[in-house]
Amino acid sequence: MIGVTNLSRHYRMGPTTVKALDSVTFGIQSGEFVSIVGPSGSGKTTLMNILGCLDSPTGGSYILAGEETASLTSDKRAEIRGRRIGFVFQNFNLLPRENSLENVELPMIYQGIPSRVRKERARDMLRKVGLEGRERHVPSELSGGQRQRVAIARALAGDPAIILADEPTGALDTRTGGEIMELFHSLNRDGTTLILVTHDPLIARRARRVIQIQDGKILADVPSGEWTP
Amino acid sequence: MKGGAFFENIRMSLRSIAANAVRSFLTALGVMIGTGAVIAMLALGAGAQKSVEASLQSLGSNLLLVYSGQPRGGSLVRRSTTNIVPTLSAEDLEAVRNLGPHLVELAAPESSSGGQAKFAAVNMPVTIVGTGIRYPEIRNVHPILGSFFTEQEADSRKTSVVIGHQVYQELFGGAGDPVGQKIRLNGLGYRVAGVMEPKGSSVTDSSVFIPISTFQRYVSGNPKYALINVRAASAGIMRQAQGAIEKEILRLHRLPNLDAADFYVANQLDLLDTLQGVAGTFTLLLGGIAAISLLVGGIGIMNIMLVSVTERTREIGVRMALGAKSGDIIAQFMTEAIILSVAGGLIGIALGFGASWAFSRFGGLASQVTPLSVALSFGFSVLIGLFFGGYPAYIASRMDPIQALRYE
Repeated sequence: MIGVTNLSRHYRMGPTTVKALDSVTFGIQSGEFVSIVGPSGSGKTTLMNILGCLDSPTGGSYILAGEETASLTSDKRAEIRGRRIGFVFQNFNLLPRENSLENVELPMIYQGIPSRVRKERARDMLRKVGLEGRERHVPSELSGGQRQRVAIARALAGDPAIILADEPTGALDTRTGGEIMELFHSLNRDGTTLILVTHDPLIARRARRVIQIQDGKILADVPSGEWTP
Repeated sequence: MKGGAFFENIRMSLRSIAANAVRSFLTALGVMIGTGAVIAMLALGAGAQKSVEASLQSLGSNLLLVYSGQPRGGSLVRRSTTNIVPTLSAEDLEAVRNLGPHLVELAAPESSSGGQAKFAAVNMPVTIVGTGIRYPEIRNVHPILGSFFTEQEADSRKTSVVIGHQVYQELFGGAGDPVGQKIRLNGLGYRVAGVMEPKGSSVTDSSVFIPISTFQRYVSGNPKYALINVRAASAGIMRQAQGAIEKEILRLHRLPNLDAADFYVANQLDLLDTLQGVAGTFTLLLGGIAAISLLVGGIGIMNIMLVSVTERTREIGVRMALGAKSGDIIAQFMTEAIILSVAGGLIGIALGFGASWAFSRFGGLASQVTPLSVALSFGFSVLIGLFFGGYPAYIASRMDPIQALRYE
């Protein structure tokens, strides 16, 4: 599903070059549940931005669902984001004026899916994350956990190849965070490919595979059972 | 942009406009006032132009005046012919008539002189106008009581008189039917044949009209005319008719060219052109000032859209992450700007109509909203939405989604 080969992202800061990502290579199969873990400044956010097609690498190759994405125009990347990637953010990033249903519809609008199909699918997704009956609620009428569920439904709505979750439990209390992790596991059991980006080893460990990043390089890439932070 | 996204854009724009109702209203207010001002000002201009045309038409349509004397600033506003030394003969009049119906529809001679009118014990100074039976049609002034004198009366030097409206008011108190009454002009008795309608011009209203033959015999003693009133066959041939008249009278007077002429022809078109030119400049000036206010309204839209784009940086980032292309973002913000300016434009049109109505109702100004000005100002307000919404939309579309998502 994902093939990353010698992937680099360098930033020029005046005369020096910062290697945020330095020749990283790994692959992720369809149906995996992988966490990318590392402290702040490790390069995990840079990696996530590239995996999410929000940013382009300066070197190497990134193949997503059979497509090379390393050097695409921003519009082409936008299209791939819409079609292949579902984002879940730490602070949910729901549109405050739109209700749950409309928020979940959003990625499908940009894919040009007709309104009736959109609504039906958005309803299905909300049911899948356990929010049946909350379709007409705007985000401010929902709890943090519920908001994150809406965001997950939205990520699923575009039928993406991967779900990319950036600190999805970071803004939630432990119990609610646990419930969200449970939801991820249940989605993964149904076949969804999940990549979870976090700085928190306890959360990272709950995925099935851990890729540990340090100073732009992969420090460890092991099943979570074998991983020691 | 996909078809479905179009309606989504409208829906989301309306929601965003409604969420900032006061701000949206104030933003659109600039365009409202601008559009309203353009329509109202152009309405004033059109009204002025209309009233110019109307007042010229009230002099008579397709009017050419052949004056005795040296050419001077061709005025059609009825000049007193009292002090003109008449140079135009019956032969000239006949020649003008004989130019044919394709050029000259009607012609009437005219001479005038100051005099005293007296009825019972009331005296008043009047202008005694000697003219032909076609005068009312050519000069567009008709009797409201009785009738103008007939051909028979005109030919037989009958002492019939048609009195102007002011004369009627002063001599007869403006009431009753004076037809058949005798009044005295310069001591000579005349039978009143009719009363002219009020024209609002003091010269016409304080005149009395008698047959030209009578005038020549009893008033001036001069066989020549001061003026020949001509109605050209149509507006399109007025210059042609003018040329033909000039040529014909030059020939009869044995004159080489117009510089040496003892007559001149004043053309209604010339005056119309001048006055319409003035009205046109006036319209342009007013419209220009109003257009500037529309422009300022547009800048207001741009200002608020820029603020809105900055405020919604995060939202833009989210949309981009979810697959919105730069075109989608542009479309969204342009839709919002256009909705604001179109709504402003529509309300502005209503304001313009209202202002125009108020001008004529309370200001006593001629004001007329023209369809062109509505189309023009509405189109202009849409363009302003496109133009001034374009830049903020472009700024939004160029955002880096990573930065935008991180924006607090």
